[in-house]
This record gives sequence, structure tokens and C-alpha cells, in this order.
Amino acid sequence: MKLALFLSDLRRTEDTYDRLKADKLGVILVENGIYHAVMKEGGKESPVLSKAGATFYALSDDLETRGFTAANVNPKVKLVSYGDIVDLIMNEYEKTAWL
Amino acid sequence: MAELTLGVFPSLVGSMSLDFSFKLAEAALAKGHKVNMWLSGNAVMMAKKGQKAFKDYSHLEKRMKELMSKGMEITVCEACAEARGYHKEDVPEGMKRASMDWYLAKTVKTDRLLHIGGE
Repeated sequence: MKLALFLSDLRRTEDTYDRLKADKLGVILVENGIYHAVMKEGGKESPVLSKAGATFYALSDDLETRGFTAANVNPKVKLVSYGDIVDLIMNEYEKTAWL
Repeated sequence: MAELTLGVFPSLVGSMSLDFSFKLAEAALAKGHKVNMWLSGNAVMMAKKGQKAFKDYSHLEKRMKELMSKGMEITVCEACAEARGYHKEDVPEGMKRASMDWYLAKTVKTDRLLHIGGE
């Protein structure tokens, strides 16, 4: 299964997140979920970005709304627009989930 | 072009996800896709016409009407609306009301489904 997973918050979702498995997994950080793309707690990146085999995306609009720029974003994360997200849903992934 | 169905549950006030849903729908329509939106749970706040737009308050009625004029189909959960005191006569023009069966049928038939959770 090709799964696009939307993370919309910084709340603790590790249990569900860790259990998720897919042949192809895209993690799309939106709303307050974008903090996973920029945070460094104790010098360490968010554990969300440690998901093996996943491709990470962050919505640029939500990033800029919160005062961040591309320079703040972890290099593992690709910045995307709303249009890019539509293309990911329609062309790259078969199923979606929202956490 | 394909069909995208958005199952939307968050409220208009106190949540960013409803706004996200409308922006994503707008982007999908711009790319020529068919978009359906199912409003359920507290998202049925959109099923009340005549909401006043305050300066610092979420207001999506205008955007919703623009998207419907571009072909987006919006259907609101009838039971969720009635439970909150929103009746048939409250529904903005162009918006439909249906039972959960409508959404269940769409989840099977649509090309892509994104179920956006509530609070």
C-alpha cells in the first residue's frame, strides 16, 4: 500500500505513528505538524523524522504562517504547496490517513 | 482528471483543519479534479447561512460559495446538523444534506479519499 500520512499537530502520536506500515510512506506535515520539520529539542531533530523509509513533506504555507523559512527546515523534508499535495494524493499515494 | 472526496470533521472555530480542507479543495479544483466535501461532526457549522465575518475570526462562507460555483459538491451530515439545531432552512444555497450513507458510498467509489479528523 502507498500511504500518504498527514500529521497536523505536535502532540504525541508516536504509538500510532510507530505502528503504521506501508510499502511506500509519505509523511505530510501540515498546520502545527510543520514544527516537526524545524524543531530541535536538545539539539536533536523530531523523532517523527526518524521513521525508516518514509519521505517527508511540509506545507510551505503553514511554515511561513508560523514565521519559518526554508532555511529553518530539516534537509530530510521537502517543502510543498497545496497543489503539490494534490499531486501527491492523486499520483504518488493510493491511500491517505490523518493524525 | 480524478475525483477527490474530503471527509471533513473539524469545527470552523478553534481549528485550523477546516481552513486547510477548503484550501486543498481549491487547489484540487484548480488542477481540474472533481471535489466532493462531506461535512460532519462540528464541521456542520458551515451548514448555517448568514454567518457574520469578523476581522479576526474564521469565516469561510464566501470561499465555500466560490468553490461550489466552480463545481465542488458539499454535503452535510443531516443528523449532525439536526443535533446542533441546524435545520434544512438554515442550509446555504447549493449545499446538500444527506445521511451517513452518502459518505460511505463515496468512500468506496471515489478515486481518492482524505478523512480529516476533528478535535
